[in-house]
Amino acid sequence: MIISVQKRFAHFVAGLLFGIAAVPAHADETCQSPYMPKIVGQEDFIYVWTLGVPDLGDGQDKLVTVDVNPASPKYGKVIHQVSVPGRNEAHHSGFTDDRRYLWAGGLDNSKIFIFDVFTDPAAPRLHKTLENFSPSSGGVTGPHTFYALPGRMLVTGLSNASDKHGRTGMVEYNNAGEYVASYWMPTDENLGGAVKSGQFADGYGYDVRALPRRNVMVTSSFTGWNNYMNNLGKVMANKEAMGRFGNTAVVWNLHTRQPKKILDVPGAPLEIRCAWGSFNNYCFTTTALTSKIWLIHEDKKGEWHSKAVAEIGDPKKIPLPVDISISADDGLLWVNTWNDGMTRVFDVKDPFQPKQIYSEKIGAQVNMLSESWDGKRIYFTSSLLANWDKTEAPAGEDLQYFKGYTWDGKQLTHKFTLDFFKHKLGRPHQMNFGAYSLYAQAPPANTLTAGQ
Amino acid sequence: MNVTPRSLLICLAIGIPASISAHQDHVIEPVPAAAVAPTAPGYGSLGFEAPKPGTYALPSLGVAADGIVLDGAGTPRHLHDLMSGHTVLLSFIYTSCNDVNGCPLATYVLGLVQTPISAHPLLKDRVRLLSLSFDPARDTREKMQEYGNRFRQAGFDWQFLTTAGNSDLHTILDAYGQLTLPERDAEGRVTGNLAHLLRVYLIDEQLRIRNIYNANFLHPEILVNDILTVLEGE
Repeated sequence: MIISVQKRFAHFVAGLLFGIAAVPAHADETCQSPYMPKIVGQEDFIYVWTLGVPDLGDGQDKLVTVDVNPASPKYGKVIHQVSVPGRNEAHHSGFTDDRRYLWAGGLDNSKIFIFDVFTDPAAPRLHKTLENFSPSSGGVTGPHTFYALPGRMLVTGLSNASDKHGRTGMVEYNNAGEYVASYWMPTDENLGGAVKSGQFADGYGYDVRALPRRNVMVTSSFTGWNNYMNNLGKVMANKEAMGRFGNTAVVWNLHTRQPKKILDVPGAPLEIRCAWGSFNNYCFTTTALTSKIWLIHEDKKGEWHSKAVAEIGDPKKIPLPVDISISADDGLLWVNTWNDGMTRVFDVKDPFQPKQIYSEKIGAQVNMLSESWDGKRIYFTSSLLANWDKTEAPAGEDLQYFKGYTWDGKQLTHKFTLDFFKHKLGRPHQMNFGAYSLYAQAPPANTLTAGQ
Repeated sequence: MNVTPRSLLICLAIGIPASISAHQDHVIEPVPAAAVAPTAPGYGSLGFEAPKPGTYALPSLGVAADGIVLDGAGTPRHLHDLMSGHTVLLSFIYTSCNDVNGCPLATYVLGLVQTPISAHPLLKDRVRLLSLSFDPARDTREKMQEYGNRFRQAGFDWQFLTTAGNSDLHTILDAYGQLTLPERDAEGRVTGNLAHLLRVYLIDEQLRIRNIYNANFLHPEILVNDILTVLEGE
């Protein structure tokens, strides 16, 4: 099919302009760090950080690249994969502030794999492996969120090397992968200058997001290695283990990395998504064990609070909310629930009163979701943790997929499904968007202009 | 301040306040994110209280890279020679940059920071500003001096630098992780603008990078307090 040079470059320039913004912008495009350029037009790729499965393909963790540009002849297909040694409990990943490198963590052995995604955006390659996360940080383990700051990477931990429970911290690196500093989560024993505002100061960690305009950083809290590497059924049957889940969110001074206030958010608050609007000084999180949406918000006096603002499904049935995504206009909040395989859309224009406006069954054990900046394309993957996935459930429950949908503001339309077991890839986890235009590269000549 | 549609677009992507004064308001009155067009805090008030000097740490982010630049007289100089013994704010700019939250912001804020530095007894003889062009073809030595004269206060130690060419320049840019890309128009023609990340580096007297600023935190109050934090910690 023939395409004019002018049209090809129109697509190309759209992305480049936002590369200039450079000062800007978050694994889902609306949830990336505000410090990096973002893709506001059509994304070309999704990079899927994937857990290896024994006796499936090479059995190793891998970064899988899926072509998601509808104008490409390879739309909806796996176009590349790069494996790393062994199985490391691949989980989350995040770009550096210049979006040239993708850092991806292993929750089991705390290795960090850094992929070059700019030399050939269609074929990432392993650039460097950091194997000293725990010793260099003073014992933080389980690298989870990779959050870009100017010229450096902030990595949240889930656990620690001494007792392997949930006490943990954040670790800062420069973009070259050299250790800079560690910041332990505040506890009753060491509040680190923070104010304990409720019952809990557990020192647990999970996600981090920032509101630079308020000099604020917010962290959430999950559980330690002893739980997340254990069989989920055994964890849930063990009262002591169930008592070792986080119940806090912490508000930090972003500039100084000092904890300011510990907020009660009981029930394992996971992903944090902060609003984009210049006056919207709040973030959302959801609690895995209690199935609620929580608002972390600043009041008129500059004080920060937490408030449960909605229930997700029927909490008695433990839907287990996992990934969430806020739309670029702060109007919608997408919430996936792993146990029932549903995605739910809440109208959050009034953040204190979210209203569910839509739901759809995506498939068994849906976990991560990523939406495009314009909110028109939504992608889903399965897989939570290797030992938590429904491997012991009846056939058909342990589905491992990557699914692409479009969203017209009222409903989802399914576009394609990739079966990651059938393709011998593994268990797909977090997704990050890629585009040629970020690096002033034109797409292949046989790619149509997006939208055609 | 004039905010062009393009700069609006850019600012929106940054997620920083549009109105210089309005972002003081902490009331949650949710508004659609796209309804407000922000410019960087550096053009106005910070929007929060800058952390007090000495109450926090600025750990080293590594050694600042060396390289060969041309000083105001056109003499080749090692960056390390220009940095050594000074606390340095280093910015990468090009004089034809028209991104309101890019190079103009960096130069504007460094311009503002001269006054509090000159007025502070601990800072006035210890801080040096360096602005290095990443467009040596157009930013000749003369062009950089002409540009610098518009911003430099009399007697202030602010040097506007360029390089002899792309070879020297890219050695430096690579070491600082500064990606630049040529902007093209809809027909694919090079416009002359460069896409780049705004970064300003705070470098201590031992040549260690102590902070890196983007548009969100590039503000005179933050810079002065960070410099004091570095100097008071030595």
